[in-house]
Amino acid sequence: MNLFHFSLQAQFSRHCFLKTRACLCFALTVCLWVVAAEVRANDHYEIVTNPGVNEKTLSVNSLRSIFSMRLKTWSDGTKIRVFVLSDDDQLHQIVSKEKLNVFPYQLRSTWDRLVFSGTGQAPIKVNSSEEMLARIATTPGAIGYLWRANINENVNVLEIK
Amino acid sequence: MKMLTCSRLSSYFSSSVRWLGKGVAVLWVIGDVSVQAQQLDQPQKQSESAQAPVKWVQAKDLPAEATEAGNSKEKPGVISTVLNWWHSTDRPGDLQIHGFVSQAYITTSDNDVFGNSDKGGSFGLTEAGLNASLRPLPRLQLSAQVLSRRAGEGNSGMPRLDYAIFDYRLYSQEVNQFGIRVGRLKNPFGFYNETRDVAFTRPSIMLPQSIYFDRTRNLGLSSDSVQLYGDTAVSDWGTLSTQFGVTLPVVNNRDTESSLLGLVRPGELNREISYIGRGIFETNDKRLRLGISGIWLNTSYDPKKLSSPLELGPGALEFTPVIFSAQYNSERWTLTSEYAIRPFSYDRNFKNTRLDGQHFVGESYYFQGEYRFTPNWEGFLRYDALFIDRSDRDGSDWVAKNPGGRSGLGHSRFAKDIAVGIRWNVTPAFMLRAEYHHVNGTGWLSGLDNPIDLKTGRPIDTHQYWDLFAIQASYRF
Repeated sequence: MNLFHFSLQAQFSRHCFLKTRACLCFALTVCLWVVAAEVRANDHYEIVTNPGVNEKTLSVNSLRSIFSMRLKTWSDGTKIRVFVLSDDDQLHQIVSKEKLNVFPYQLRSTWDRLVFSGTGQAPIKVNSSEEMLARIATTPGAIGYLWRANINENVNVLEIK
Repeated sequence: MKMLTCSRLSSYFSSSVRWLGKGVAVLWVIGDVSVQAQQLDQPQKQSESAQAPVKWVQAKDLPAEATEAGNSKEKPGVISTVLNWWHSTDRPGDLQIHGFVSQAYITTSDNDVFGNSDKGGSFGLTEAGLNASLRPLPRLQLSAQVLSRRAGEGNSGMPRLDYAIFDYRLYSQEVNQFGIRVGRLKNPFGFYNETRDVAFTRPSIMLPQSIYFDRTRNLGLSSDSVQLYGDTAVSDWGTLSTQFGVTLPVVNNRDTESSLLGLVRPGELNREISYIGRGIFETNDKRLRLGISGIWLNTSYDPKKLSSPLELGPGALEFTPVIFSAQYNSERWTLTSEYAIRPFSYDRNFKNTRLDGQHFVGESYYFQGEYRFTPNWEGFLRYDALFIDRSDRDGSDWVAKNPGGRSGLGHSRFAKDIAVGIRWNVTPAFMLRAEYHHVNGTGWLSGLDNPIDLKTGRPIDTHQYWDLFAIQASYRF
């Protein structure tokens, strides 16, 4: 009786444990998925420049200053030329939010203020990743962003600290 | 019994190891497949998964949007083809050309705003601008804009030079920049003044009139000046952008005369040295923006026809407004408030009892909330208040000074405007919007659109409580 009772208990607790473990396993999988997704998000695009640009690393603040069109020259005094995709493009939105930590509408209003008050210029808009790649590869001082899958040896990947 | 327990326990472990193994294997497979899928897939598809951590549910998911984007890709219009050519052709000196055109329809229950709006409405507000900018040297920018504005009696639509700027960057190091601008510059005050004619940059069709008076806009908009500017990093928090200019204000227009002198007079207002300055602090994520702007405007009157009953003496006046601005931006909300204190001071040489020795301090403020339902649909709600003389908020003291001539006109000394509106960004370049205002007071109505009867000195037809409804379409490139 005692033995039976114990084995029953053990079986029951085992059942519970299995269930919990399954749950845990599922939770872990979900966690890993989310982490993986985040890693992918950060991992699958890069800030890229024309190969002629000397900078290999850049601080986030300098990068934001460049995309806000305030910083206009590289450290060697040459012109910075900023290329962007359309405001509603997915990569543009991800780069704005994750790399620059601003919302796309805020970049747009910053650029509009510069252009229509005559105190600055807007970035150059391109229509596709292919065009972005081509323009950055051929324009001196160019900076932009690309999905990693679109990057080739004609552009430099910039490390952002 | 012990054996039984042991065997059970061991079975636990073995099975749990198996489980874990299976789990890892599954993860591996999933990971692998997804990575492979990504490498094979279109780059846009990758972003679907990358989008997971992005908080905002994209409006792109809406089918309407998707088809719209599809259409625009498949059938580029003539204009966009031309624009693409402009954008994609390498031009010397980084030439950029931008512009906008906006048309509004305004109807009011009483009083006239930008044309005869109270008799069935009017298409009296048209704004168009074209600008070009050039960077012949890395540190040098040249830019100019021509602006046409047709708005009631004050603006005929005749194109005028809005700005023409020579901008040289004196110092540039990562996040710190200093430079000088010379030419006709937009006056930097408040958040909106410099781009007030560009519908896309405004929160509404009518800017809060308490601070951005449209009746003295020519005076406030731009001036011939020399300006020093700088952007400096404030430790790791954000950037402080400052501008300081010495200017010659643009005062030779009817609207400004009518506002400052009560009427369009035979003589002219002189341009005298004035000063303007603004500082805006912006956090790195641009969520918080705080600003302070100040103007010290000087002008004097130059009589031309002493025989005219409307003529004044050679008086001088000083206008020294200070504006405090604050804005908070989140993904969906933008909350904005500005407060202005506006001291006017007339000397005693005008030889006119209404103006001589007048000194009063005006006060204005507004609170505004903008909400983005989706990236394409926005709404706003605003309360805007103006007091011509803050020590006499309902105008009763002003009426008491001349009860015969001013009785019932206390409402011309203030205006309280509640406005609500909606905006639809059809494409990034084309926008439609509508708004409704309920206004108590006539403090910011243009004297040119709502003239006074010269015999009685009273406005011919103004009403204290009135409503305004407006719609607008705007295109930019």
